[in-house]
Amino acid sequence: MDLRFTEEENAFRDEVRSFFRTEIPAEIRRKVSEGRRLSREDYVISQRILNARDWAVPHWPLEWGGQPWTPIQRYIFTEELLQAAVPLPLQFNCYMVGPVIAAFGSEEQKKRFLPRIANLDDWWCQGFSEPGAGSDLASLKTRALREGDFYVVDGQKTWTTLGQYADWIFCLVRTDPTVKKQAGISFLLIDMKTPGITVRPIITIDGRHEVNEIFFDNVRVPIENLVGEENKGWDYAKFLLANERTGIARIGLSKERIARIKRLAKEVPVGTGTLWDNRDFRARVASVEIELKALEITQMRVVATQSKTGSSKPDPASSILKIKGSELQQTTTELLLEAAGPYALLTGDQIGAGPNEPPGGFDWVDAAAPTYFNNRKVTIYGGSNEIQRNVIARAILGL
Amino acid sequence: MKLLVCVKRVVDFNVKIRVKPDGSGVELANIKMSMNPFDEIAVEEAVRLKEQGKVTEIVAVSIGPQQAGETIRTALAMGADRGILVKTDATVEPLAVAKILAKVVEQEKPDLVIMGKQAIDDDANQTGQMLAALLGWPQGTFAFKVAVGEGSIDVTREVDGGLQTVGLKLPAIVTTDLRLNEPRYASLPNIMKAKKKPLDETSPETLGIDVSPRLKVIKTVEPGGRKAGVKVGSVAELVQKLKVEAGVL
Amino acid sequence: MNFDLTPEQMLLKDSIDRLIASRYSSLEKREAYRKEPLGFSEAIWAQFAELGLLGLPFSEEDGGFGGGPVETMVVMEALGRGLSLEPYLTTVVLGGGFLRHAGSAEQKAAYIPEIVVGNLKLALAQTERQARYDLADIATTAEKTDRGYVIDGQKSLVLAGDSADLFVVSARTSGEQRSQYGVTLFLVDANTPGISRRTYSTQDGGRATEIEFSGTIVSTDAILGPVDGGYPFLEHVIGETIAALSAEAVGAMESLHQLTVEYLKTRKQFGVSIGSFQTLQHRAVDMLMALEQARSMEMYAAMMVGSDNADERRSAISAAKVQINRSARFVGQEAVQLHGGIGMTMEYIGAHYFKRLTMIESLFGDTAHHLHQVARVGGLVAAA
Repeated sequence: MDLRFTEEENAFRDEVRSFFRTEIPAEIRRKVSEGRRLSREDYVISQRILNARDWAVPHWPLEWGGQPWTPIQRYIFTEELLQAAVPLPLQFNCYMVGPVIAAFGSEEQKKRFLPRIANLDDWWCQGFSEPGAGSDLASLKTRALREGDFYVVDGQKTWTTLGQYADWIFCLVRTDPTVKKQAGISFLLIDMKTPGITVRPIITIDGRHEVNEIFFDNVRVPIENLVGEENKGWDYAKFLLANERTGIARIGLSKERIARIKRLAKEVPVGTGTLWDNRDFRARVASVEIELKALEITQMRVVATQSKTGSSKPDPASSILKIKGSELQQTTTELLLEAAGPYALLTGDQIGAGPNEPPGGFDWVDAAAPTYFNNRKVTIYGGSNEIQRNVIARAILGL
Repeated sequence: MKLLVCVKRVVDFNVKIRVKPDGSGVELANIKMSMNPFDEIAVEEAVRLKEQGKVTEIVAVSIGPQQAGETIRTALAMGADRGILVKTDATVEPLAVAKILAKVVEQEKPDLVIMGKQAIDDDANQTGQMLAALLGWPQGTFAFKVAVGEGSIDVTREVDGGLQTVGLKLPAIVTTDLRLNEPRYASLPNIMKAKKKPLDETSPETLGIDVSPRLKVIKTVEPGGRKAGVKVGSVAELVQKLKVEAGVL
Repeated sequence: MNFDLTPEQMLLKDSIDRLIASRYSSLEKREAYRKEPLGFSEAIWAQFAELGLLGLPFSEEDGGFGGGPVETMVVMEALGRGLSLEPYLTTVVLGGGFLRHAGSAEQKAAYIPEIVVGNLKLALAQTERQARYDLADIATTAEKTDRGYVIDGQKSLVLAGDSADLFVVSARTSGEQRSQYGVTLFLVDANTPGISRRTYSTQDGGRATEIEFSGTIVSTDAILGPVDGGYPFLEHVIGETIAALSAEAVGAMESLHQLTVEYLKTRKQFGVSIGSFQTLQHRAVDMLMALEQARSMEMYAAMMVGSDNADERRSAISAAKVQINRSARFVGQEAVQLHGGIGMTMEYIGAHYFKRLTMIESLFGDTAHHLHQVARVGGLVAAA
């Protein structure tokens, strides 16, 4: 039993750490750290820098740009990336559609899409959820009827994150309504420029435009855009969701946020001292840090098992990581909100003209509440925490 | 006198086994494995014979993957002197095991071979008997009690309806039953000593044994669940049920 | 980075797990041991000696087997799983820890072989009524005279103090009452004149003793470690003890969680097993998460307790104790709730796990105490 990394692993950590902190523009990292909105361009710049170093998709198969890293190296890479407040390579591209195409797509699809996915030449979004299909995803209704060399798609997708930037959408569609609901689903790639697609913004509680509704009206999709076999889409979706769950604990992100909260607390005046002098506040921060440390070790245990068995297959233990990790992310945003105190009330939107001063005199407080509001999503997406508990109850406890 | 004890690595008896979805066998990934309990009894008996001064050297042999070495280490920590791992990742059937053991016996020339009467994974109860046949040695199976004499051994066997004692001329094969002894726990000093005891490796190929299977597993199924029992209100009711419903009285 | 046991650690685990599983296979057996004169099974203690467990952490030169914190963790987990009553923690981890770290060559030679064979049991006489969790709050005095030292004062909550043959006693030889400097440790024979003991049974089935030292005379040979410099040893050995206690708690939580899940599968109401109800499933999952988080910190503590960096070590141990305490409380309370009425009864083993876990929370620092320790030094993550 040994917590220490090997010399090679330490060297690797130093290498990725210094790359993230020197090569990714500080302005982008500052936005991530402060919970500011990133532009489409920010994502593209950051991912292309990574891709130029062959680090945008290290978990992919080698021939498509993956790295021959051990599970421990991958863990180090992701944690360092998050701690440096570098934007994760676009999830929909690199962790969702890319791996599915690499695993189940045709050679033509791989050649056509994968390099552009890795370099963010195409921006992808996810067409899974529907108004009537959330946790019960398999009950989705968007339908694709085969007409000659085309599928004709009709229906509605929702919660499409950053769909407003997207060039392509990967969709689960119903191709056979007569069989068991899981057995009639296919995985379709759709060009967002196809006539009949409408994107409508949904403004979330943080006041931002992050998610969308997407309507499909008689959208004609060439059949070569089907991934794998018709009616096997549910298998590919399960593969994708399992991928989504790994690394979802986001420990590095929570660590980065805690480090920042400590710095801010030292700047917030309270009485004759600062918020950091408040024993209760410090105890609350310490309390979160302890749980985070426990989760970090839990994650390392999972990674060590993966590296021992040589399997990168996600195990049910990753559900624990998702539940605890997301809860802790939320708790850190609560601390941020507390640190901002009453100034969390202020948005950055100044009404009318005036001197260009940050609200309340702090340049960070206006992002505190939106960060808190926005993070309520993390216990809902990627399989809600209640669904994760169902998974553990069945797969681990045998209930 | 030299003694060879055979130990098999099997799914721990506490583990609730699960059949693989394709029915080809049972799930072994991430499952706790231990020494076959009957073999543990064999090791204990061997160590007791050594403690009585009847045996001078105990060699523990196991056939299986690299991890079977851990099972040998357990035997060494219980008191065996050295180990031989016949390394193979193949599924080895009782006849192939017996052939491998016969080869090891040929090389090691023990006076006595002790092993469990059966392994709790496949419950074949064949290896000891087959080995005796291959070597042309006498066998004492299902041992309840063992007494070593000069060039001979008395084995008291558990048979239907009682005990039977057979006298065997050495060299011989003994297979152990449940009530022969209660195996000891490996102590810390012995665990430390076991670390330094020699463990040699060989393979079926080196020994010139073909282990390719002769049998084909057609299907593996889990036993059906037990039906819920009923609670009876009185002795009279119980007797009545045993007479009428069960028909056993 | 790996979390595997070595082959030798696996063998040790196998031995102790099986021993405990057979000796502590039922609550009736445990009750029988508890009613023995010393409050635990002397036969099992002898078996511990036979298996070498009592010599586990001592170096081979001193007559032990050179085990480290991970080996201790393996043993303590097993003891926790079985809810063992034997004074392993007090004699081997705590008492043995002081001998290992502070003992002179003569003291080691005199006592360690006796511990290893099971002839000598130790207890720590440290806590005082006013001190709560402050290790430096020591009012008991040891005054130097021409005959050695005279010890006066009261010690409380001496775990397994009635069966102990030898006490490690902390006393003030100089300095103010709460000063870290000026604490000296002594090895005091339990039968020394001037010692009176009053023993209580504890909520978890164990025993603790109140000890009064009045004019107790010990020779200078009894000094353990440097005069006035005992505090760092107190802190270090109690750190090791917290790591070991964490392992015991994890073992107990593991058993209790298992019992609870089994109960959910077998208990039927409304014509179905209650484990089919989603509310109860989710609570059982939350118990599992608390257990796994505790297990991670148990391992963390075992790996950090030997660190040369005292600050890092202290924070790690305090962090581990906070997590263990929280998990222990959560798992214990949920287990009682999910069992319903039967969980409230003394005839059910689950209730005894709950009681032991509850007491572990308050041993060597409760949640608030250790949380404050972590917060005081600014937490575990460096500020940006």
